[in-house]
Amino acid sequence: MGLITEKLPALVEPVPGGSVLLSSLDAVINWARSNSLWPLTFGTSCCAIEVMMAAGAARHDLARFGAEVTRPSPRQADLLVVAGTIVRKMAPRLKLLYEQMAEPRYVIATGSCAISGGPFIYNNYSTVRGADEIIPVDVYVPGCPPRPEAFFYGILMLQKLIREGESLRTPGVRRKPVLAALPAGITIEQIQQELRELLEPQGGRR
Amino acid sequence: METHELISAVQALEPAAVPREKVDRAAVVAPVERFLELMARLRDEPDLRFDMLCTHTAIDWIAEARLELVYCLYSTVHRHYLVVSASVPREAAVMPSMQALWPIAEWQEREVYDLFGVRYTGHPDLRRILLDDDWQGFPLRKDYRDDFMLEGPK
Repeated sequence: MGLITEKLPALVEPVPGGSVLLSSLDAVINWARSNSLWPLTFGTSCCAIEVMMAAGAARHDLARFGAEVTRPSPRQADLLVVAGTIVRKMAPRLKLLYEQMAEPRYVIATGSCAISGGPFIYNNYSTVRGADEIIPVDVYVPGCPPRPEAFFYGILMLQKLIREGESLRTPGVRRKPVLAALPAGITIEQIQQELRELLEPQGGRR
Repeated sequence: METHELISAVQALEPAAVPREKVDRAAVVAPVERFLELMARLRDEPDLRFDMLCTHTAIDWIAEARLELVYCLYSTVHRHYLVVSASVPREAAVMPSMQALWPIAEWQEREVYDLFGVRYTGHPDLRRILLDDDWQGFPLRKDYRDDFMLEGPK
């Protein structure tokens, strides 16, 4: 017992409680954070044309969602948009950029390459199979490349995530829509077993 | 110069050069002996004047145990293209460097060395250009495998 609530915070949220003041402050802060995401664009290939250039330009206009202030410096950004293929030589630099960003920091992986390695997944000596091999990813936007609308959906998902997930008492802990990988030493059978015990106490009686 | 004129001009310089078929630009296969002399003549002949090396790359013909080295030449004077290639054995891939003729060949040969493992004699600074310095093996060879690679479904 305790496996789910302690080791898998990404899957199960703690029951909200505590004082009214704290949770109202959370709501205000998270609302402010979610509506002023400053992206650090990490464009390495064609996805950058869609999610950095087309999404930021006048027709689609990223400014409508408060995320138009793209920063060239990780020190001033709080959203890392991984737009494009990541190769093994670039991977340490991506990790360094992520670590240079101030908390709270969020990551969106756009496109097949940043999600899984995409078309370069097999028999390839150079391409990292997904940004989540290196850094934790909050939102995945599929597509090859995704349209700006898809990227906006990802931004809205992240805003929703920020507004719901984080709190002052547990900064950095938030619900993730896609879990990249199970923590080491935990199998899916263990989780199913514990869920069964939780849901069906005393020998299967509901 | 037209394609057939180019090919006959090259064959006048190097009788053993064989023109390629089914290509849209003039292309010849030359023997690897006297290759540097042929390239120097191609650059300096007044009718040819190939003063630019557009691309240098390699093809791994693993079944025939040879590496084909491809040089794409262009003349800014006469505005014609020529592709010259030569084959070296896969296990002892040694080629004279074109760096004295076209200075850009220095980096292009470093790239071919990096990915295919061709040793260029006379190259001033033959080390890896794209991969890490401590990389083992030459990844664009068809038989390259390492622990990072994921086998595709058959």
